Parts: sequence; structure tokens; C-alpha cells
Amino acid sequence: MKNHIPSLRLLHLRRAWPLGVAASGLLVAFLAQGMAPDVSGAGKQAATVPVLSPTIPLEITVTSPPSPPTLASLQHDFDVFSWQMFVALNWPANADGSPNTKLTIGQAPRDSVVWQHWRESRSIFLPKGETPPPWGQNTPLPAVCSGINPKTLPPNTLRLTQIGKTPNLLDESSEPFKTGPLIDQNGRYTRYEILTNETMFNYILGNTLYSKAGQQAFNADADFPSSDPKAAQVGSIMVKAAWVEMGGKYDPSKFFTAWALVYDNPAEQHGVKPFCKLEKVGLVGLHIAHKTADEPQWIWSTFENVANAPTQGEKLQRSAYNFFDPACKDCQVNEPPPRPWNPENAYTKPSQIERVIAITPEAKRLNDSFHRALAAVTPNSVWLNYELVSTQWPTNASSRIDPTGVPAPSFLANTTLESYIQGEVKQTSSSCMACHNNATTTAGKSADFTYLLQRAQ
Amino acid sequence: MSDTMDNFIGLSAVLTGFASSILAPGLDPVNIKAEYLPFFTAKVAAESGNPQLVDSIFAKYASLAAQQLSDQQIGTAMLDPANGADFVLACRKLIFMWYSGAWPTLIPASASAPASTVSDLISAKSYTCGLAWQVMQSHPMGDSNYRYGYWNSQPPALNDYTGQQGA
Repeated sequence: MKNHIPSLRLLHLRRAWPLGVAASGLLVAFLAQGMAPDVSGAGKQAATVPVLSPTIPLEITVTSPPSPPTLASLQHDFDVFSWQMFVALNWPANADGSPNTKLTIGQAPRDSVVWQHWRESRSIFLPKGETPPPWGQNTPLPAVCSGINPKTLPPNTLRLTQIGKTPNLLDESSEPFKTGPLIDQNGRYTRYEILTNETMFNYILGNTLYSKAGQQAFNADADFPSSDPKAAQVGSIMVKAAWVEMGGKYDPSKFFTAWALVYDNPAEQHGVKPFCKLEKVGLVGLHIAHKTADEPQWIWSTFENVANAPTQGEKLQRSAYNFFDPACKDCQVNEPPPRPWNPENAYTKPSQIERVIAITPEAKRLNDSFHRALAAVTPNSVWLNYELVSTQWPTNASSRIDPTGVPAPSFLANTTLESYIQGEVKQTSSSCMACHNNATTTAGKSADFTYLLQRAQ
Repeated sequence: MSDTMDNFIGLSAVLTGFASSILAPGLDPVNIKAEYLPFFTAKVAAESGNPQLVDSIFAKYASLAAQQLSDQQIGTAMLDPANGADFVLACRKLIFMWYSGAWPTLIPASASAPASTVSDLISAKSYTCGLAWQVMQSHPMGDSNYRYGYWNSQPPALNDYTGQQGA
């Protein structure tokens, strides 16, 4: 029909091949090896594997065929972008946080990785709106950890206090939706952190967005820098990580692990007692949000440990899961624990989590291909235990009537970060862009898809 | 898209006044058309008792479109009473469906009540996709993608919602 030719928006044409991206070796190698997207659903598997690169991609690479791109082919392209991000951010790091190019992802598993050198939100939004230390420095340990000599801590020790995506989760008044703490199979609370890269941090610092007074003075919508392929500049990126304490039912060899100060701070969470301990924790979930030139709504990628949870309606694939007990027949699925919530409880009945929206066959095939690449470098790479759930991206980024850019897929959730709001009900179920589009500064201005600025004091 | 879907979207664009690119964007993660077409087909067949009626509607539309007629001319021809009452009623219900996200049922006048129309929402998704909200340059109750403070600003132009120039 002449009057219904699919019309691709300009922004997608700008993305179009041949690659206009001064991007990673992975992008180029990916195409050079002829790894075209398999979106046919026929299950054809490309013989080649993607090259692993420490370079952060600055824009998606639109592959061809098919031509013009379709929803499915672009989803594949964004999913490839997500894996490129995951590889680059989890690359072994030098002491200054740059990728150690003498190594490849999966090698030297005890080393820190790139994103672990980024700035955790609590070292940005300080009490009384104080100016945070510049990039490369950190704030002193929280007072509740004063009994620990910082010099005795392992390098890059994390500081984990959050028990939910949102701060102050124990404060019911600030709790959005039906979210709640996620309890692991040992009966312990899952812990969280949110970090920004240097570009995003510097924007916050340079515009005094770290304090309420600074946001009031800024008095404008936030507009974080996006990646610029022409200038080869990395834009704003933030990550959200979910961790569980190792031991008990958790085998550390199945997780990317780190040392962390796990603490409860009455100054941050009303009603808890001061508590701090050094624990080995394992990564169970990772969000990556990256603002690119063609996607001002950001690109939202989410990864999980492969053993987190079974998919609803599907046959169990494992005898044990990180957040699901196959033997429990009367456990309520995807329900937060009863109140009151207290991370200091020695034991809380574990959460029973199921994935509501299945990982697509196309994403599974892509996971397989990157797992082959990771295994080729390190046969027992810890990263083989992680998989892409999906990528949310704007199909119409320049829409004048929808600032969310009509995201695809419409809904996306990580079972460790949006455990209780999975599903496909608008304004209720998890959608990265639909939710973060509502974010504002403390001065009531648009916060450019991040709630971090609400943490300013 | 299939020929049937092409005709469904083309006819819908003519009858609603919205551009086909709005009703069925090239990249369409919402994909309400995939819900509407089978619903419309089944309802028209059931209510008219004529399983071929939808096919004849689409065939008529395709014939008119092939003649390079204007949308106004095609719409007038599709709603011509000469097509038959069920034919025209189906086209009118198609308009109702797109604008409200619901399916109408006409209740004839009785001795105790005048004629009326009741409607049943097709789905939660169809509620949010109703074109009536777009014409209002607004959003469904309980579902807004506008940012905080939008109520203090002029909405985008009507053309941006309808996809039509000069709307």
C-alpha cells in the first residue's frame, strides 16, 4: 500500500550503515566477520563469535540486512550494543580505572573492573549538600564503619547500604510502586549501589547539582552530555548493581565477586541500628544506562546472573536458583516480604522470584554467541554466568508528543532490581524510560531520566 | 505487513483522519493494529452474520484507493448507504474503535428508553491508544508520558498528534 510504507525516523537514518561510528573494535570486527543478525527465529547460529573489546561503544551499529531496519533487527542491534557495553565495563581495570588492555575480560578475575572505579551515589550527594571530592577521590568511610581501619580494606572495597533501588527504602512514604527488599536464599537482604561515570559526575559537579541549593541555582532542566561518535567522546553512563553475600547456598565461583562494607546507617535509613561488616559479595544484577546522541532517552541494558530465577510458565532449568526455591510449594511468587523490613534480621524468609517476561530467543542466541567469545578467552570465565535480559530503546526518539520516545520493548525488568513490578501493565509494571521520564530535580525541573538528583541534600 | 493489514490501516486512516504512519508506525512496539484487526474482523462477522463482509469492505477500499481518489472521496464512498447497512455500520464502528479503544453496541429504542450506544473496552492497551486523547492533545486518565509540569505548557500542535498537515 502506498500510504503505509514504514517510515523510519530521521534519527534511525542517521544511524544507518555504513557505520558512522568511531566505535569499538568489536563493532568493526563484528561486521568484518559477517555476523549478521539472526532475527528470523529460525535458530540459525552464526559460526563466528564477536570480538571482545574494552572500548565503550558510542552509538549502536545498524546492521543490514534486512533493509530497511525492522523492530526486530534494531532490537538485535541494541542488544549487541548492550553486550559491548557489558564487556567494556567489566574489563579488568588499571589502578586509575582505565581498562587494562594487557588483559581481556575474564582474565585476572580478582582484579577490579572498570565500572567499579566509578562514583557511587553516596559519595556524590553528601550530607548538607557538601561539595563532593573530585573524580578519582572518595569520601571517608561512613561513621558506622569507624571501627574498621581503611588501610586494612582490600582495594576497591564497595560500600553497600541500600536494600532497594530507591534510597531510604525503610521509609514507607518514599516507596514507589510495590517495591521492597529482595531476600536471598540464605535469608539475607540483597544490597544495591548506583554509580556514575566521569562524564556524568563532572556534569553534576560542574553544575552544582549535588545539592538542593545548587539545583535551585541551576534552575533548568538537566541535560547530561551524550556520547559523541564524531568527537569520540563517551557520554553519560550510570550503572545499578545488585549484590548478595557469598557463602551458604551461594558458590563464589558462580559470581563476579567483590569485597564490600555492608552497613546499615541510621542517618540514612530510619529505624536501623549502626552496623558494618566486611563481606564478600557476588553480582546478581546490573543495569547499564547510556545516553547517546540518537537516544536522548538513554539506552537501557540489563543483565543478570543466569541462575537468578526461572521464567513463569516454563519448565525449571536448574535444581537451584539464586532467588527461587524449587522445593517451596506454598511460597508466594514475586511478593515482597511482610513488614516491618529490617536488614539486620538474622534471617528473613527468602523471596520467591519468577521472571514474568521471558528472554527472547533472539537475545538468548546473542547471549550464547558472547558466551562463546568469553569462553574462548577464559574457558571458566565468571562472565559466562551472566546474560542479557534485554535492551530498552526509543523507537521514535524525536517524537514531539511522547518524551519517552515510544520505547521498545514497552516493558523491561531485572528480577533483582524490579522484582515486584514485573509485567505488562502501563504505569505499574517496570519500564525504564516510562519511569525515569518522570524524574525531576529537587527544584522541580526535568532530571533527564535519572532519579539520582533527588538525593541532593 | 500483509495486504489485509495494509487495507485495514489504509481504510482506518481515511475514516479517522489520522495518518497511517500514526496508526501503524514503521517501528511499532505498541502494535495496537495487531489487536484491532482480528477483533474487528471477528466482531463484524459475528454481528452481521456475514463472514465475508470484512473482506468486501477491504476490497472496496482497495479498489477506491487504486483509483488515486482523495481521502475525502474514498471516505464518502465507503460510507455511502448504497453499500448496505451492515457495510456502513461496520465502517462507523471502525471509527468508534480507533477513537475510543472500545467496541460499540447499538441498542434500539424501546417503549421505555430511547436508542443508545454502549461500549466495551477492548483491552487496557486499547484504552491508552484511543485517538480521542490525541485529538484532545492530552492523555488518557491514569496514563501520561508527559513530564512533570506539562500542564503548565501548551501541548504540541494537533498536527503532531494526527500526522496530518493542516489539521
